[in-house]
Amino acid sequence: MTAMKNFVCWVALACGLMAGIASTETSAADPQTIRIAAVAMQVAGKPGYMAAAQYVSEDQTLLAELEKRHVRLEWIPISPTSVAALVNEDFTSHRIDFAFYGDLPSVILNASGFQTRLVAPGNLGNNVYLVVPPTSTAKSIADLKGKRIALHRGRPWEVSFGKLVASNGLKVTDFKIVNLNPQAGASALVAGSVDAFFTLDDAYLLSDRNVGRIIWSSHRAPVDWKMRAELWGTREFVEQHPDLTQLLVNSELRAVAWISQEQNRSRYIKDLADRYGYPQSVVQRDSDNANISWKDYWSPLYTPSVTQHYEAVVAYARSANLIRSDVDVKTLIVPTFVREGLKQLSLDHYWVAQATP
Amino acid sequence: MSTHTSAATAGGAGSLLSGLEIRRIDWSRLRVLAGLISPLLLLVVWALAVRAHWFTEQILVPPAAVLDAFEEVWDSGELPDGLKISLYRLAAGFALGSLSGLALGTLLATSRQAQIYIGPTFNALRQVPTLALTPMFILIFGIGETLKIAIILKATLFPVAIATVEAVRDIPRAYLEVGRALRLPPWTQFRRILFPASVPPILTGVRIALGRSWMVLVAVELLAADTGIGQLMEIGRQMLRIDIVMVGVIVTGLIGFSLDRGLRLLEWALLPWKRP
Amino acid sequence: MPVLKSLRGWLLPVLLLCLWQYTSQRDAAHAYAFVPLEQVWAALLERLGDGDLLRNLAGSLLRTSLGLLIGVVLGTGVGALMATSGIALTLINPVYQSIRQVPLLGLTPLLGLWLGNGETAKIFIIALASFYPMVLNTYEGLRNVDFRYREVGRVYGFGRALLFRRVLLPASLPSLFTGLQQAVPLAWIAAVGGELLFNVGAGLGNLMMQAETGARMDVIVVCTASITVLGILMSYLTSLAAAHALRWRQ
Repeated sequence: MTAMKNFVCWVALACGLMAGIASTETSAADPQTIRIAAVAMQVAGKPGYMAAAQYVSEDQTLLAELEKRHVRLEWIPISPTSVAALVNEDFTSHRIDFAFYGDLPSVILNASGFQTRLVAPGNLGNNVYLVVPPTSTAKSIADLKGKRIALHRGRPWEVSFGKLVASNGLKVTDFKIVNLNPQAGASALVAGSVDAFFTLDDAYLLSDRNVGRIIWSSHRAPVDWKMRAELWGTREFVEQHPDLTQLLVNSELRAVAWISQEQNRSRYIKDLADRYGYPQSVVQRDSDNANISWKDYWSPLYTPSVTQHYEAVVAYARSANLIRSDVDVKTLIVPTFVREGLKQLSLDHYWVAQATP
Repeated sequence: MSTHTSAATAGGAGSLLSGLEIRRIDWSRLRVLAGLISPLLLLVVWALAVRAHWFTEQILVPPAAVLDAFEEVWDSGELPDGLKISLYRLAAGFALGSLSGLALGTLLATSRQAQIYIGPTFNALRQVPTLALTPMFILIFGIGETLKIAIILKATLFPVAIATVEAVRDIPRAYLEVGRALRLPPWTQFRRILFPASVPPILTGVRIALGRSWMVLVAVELLAADTGIGQLMEIGRQMLRIDIVMVGVIVTGLIGFSLDRGLRLLEWALLPWKRP
Repeated sequence: MPVLKSLRGWLLPVLLLCLWQYTSQRDAAHAYAFVPLEQVWAALLERLGDGDLLRNLAGSLLRTSLGLLIGVVLGTGVGALMATSGIALTLINPVYQSIRQVPLLGLTPLLGLWLGNGETAKIFIIALASFYPMVLNTYEGLRNVDFRYREVGRVYGFGRALLFRRVLLPASLPSLFTGLQQAVPLAWIAAVGGELLFNVGAGLGNLMMQAETGARMDVIVVCTASITVLGILMSYLTSLAAAHALRWRQ
């Protein structure tokens, strides 16, 4: 019946169109492409990646090396709204090989059975902030016991929140946690639906407009309380292509070495502020860590504090029922690439392992 | 889209009729069974795909895992609590929305003044997609119950009002004139003429509005809520618990289905003259 | 006076805008949510100026058109299949009815996992949103073709294919266009929703999310207004197309 054939043709056309669109996106497990995800803000149509990732994406040396091996580099920008879920889904469905993202989500991923490896540590961590409405009388987290706090679950700073709460002799369950992404959290704080909001430096955006007041920040807390983000790779890729992984790590080390120089600090801050569409003063204040030098802040060395940090993350995730099985932190940590990279770049004496401040 | 098999009407020889009746009953029962074929087939394909490892377990969650997850969130109370809250929000917002929609619709249909002053604003506002209003509403209403009820109100009010306007307008003038000619008291006019003439399209509008409101509620709960079934799915997603997400998908689908069927049943009960 | 009469419809909107402006003046928190109107205007000019608005608008439109195309074609195909083949109907209908009830945006996590969080997933949701009404209306349209037309076809000895092309399809065209008119706003909503819930890309929903981060209510209002205007435009164009295609029906 030609009528039936007509339908089949049309249906096939539509399916073909869909498949065509799907294939223009990241193609599956093609060893000729390395796919990296990184948190990005879209300003004026161009994605601007966080921290060192941006410099890696612009690194001509890396691109040249990869070309020699006929390998393409593909960047997947991730909206800051929901980094954890998006990156974990992309890893699980084999859409990416590497990601620059945070500590808690990577633990959650590994606990689910999908294995990734920490191939290059990021900086010592982003600061986290506790914001309340300007009219609030709360002066510390203890004053907020039993109140509603906007906190995006599964994001790295949840662990920082857990540490803050524990240090005051409280539990996370002593508060009514409202699971909102950072945008909705900001709106909720201003509209008065929540009594406090726990987040990253977007807190300054609120306090600068007098619609929020920061009553605590990790500036005055142990360094370990900051939220960490690193370069993670799938176990498969790292084991099957150590050479490509090494190239990537080297690029990251070059970027970090450049950033960590004092004379490049203001340039880095300006770049980051422009890429994210944030005022420079916000980035300035956020990166102002009084008890750590700028150079040490960017140290990619695998000190025991890194392992301890992750053990604390795993412990928190278990206690908060975010994961159902333990994760052996030792298997996550792969220091060989950084060690080798520092040697190759003659940087192995540039950073000295600091004792945990 | 379900076709109703018409009830056997009188007529025909006795033995012939009984033969026809038997055949009809078998046919409808067969249809019900046939309706189960494809869902069962899908379930079988799902289980086989998992067994054959076409996709990893994290991507294609086995049916057994979904059942386990269902038990887990049911026993922990998260699912019942989430359902209760979501359904309460739906009920409150929907009741408010449909009642005001009915009132507004009647007003717009009967009052020329209302049409002139309110009409243009109404037509402009109804074009604003409810979901696009969410960020604005969050800033204005916060993320409490007010937000959800406000959103459902918006999603319900306009479709119901429009259905009412059309229904009232479509009442044949002849009917109204009959009522006036017979000098019927207003209540009888309403009960015997206006109500039966306008209810069917209004009910259809209400049924569609209910389906849309349920969709919008789940979407808002995904974006900005502390409790509810949408929130359960969102947390599941953030913890990479796709089995919990699937439980949420199935439950919300079942509820949407039941709500739709429930209202169709109501239509069937309230409008006996419409039955085939 | 006819001029004054037509202005009466503007009374309510103007009143509402005044109320908005008044609320915005009350204090900082209110100014945050009820951003002053002049700020909204400034934001509009700003966004138009650096091309942001147009770029994201184009992105949303492109996505919606693609999704609509796929959804409409597939929906018509499946609807026609169900109308002409009893087996197809029995098999597809139950699945169609149950999946239809699942709130589209609730599928986001699953789609994110199965299709990634990028363009494919967004277009899929748009296609799915336009798929449903097209199936329904195509099915009903084909089933409800006046039996007299079929009779005429049979009298002329049309085969099934010819019957379909010359009789059933034109007769059900009004239903198809009703389906299209229903599909367009639904597709648009799905586009915006998908942009809100999936990953970065060019789109009005994405612009709104960015604005939410910086708490730019003025940009949010601009986006909401643009989304509305575009939705109205698309519906209007669709009804024009329908009127043109069905012009033989006086």
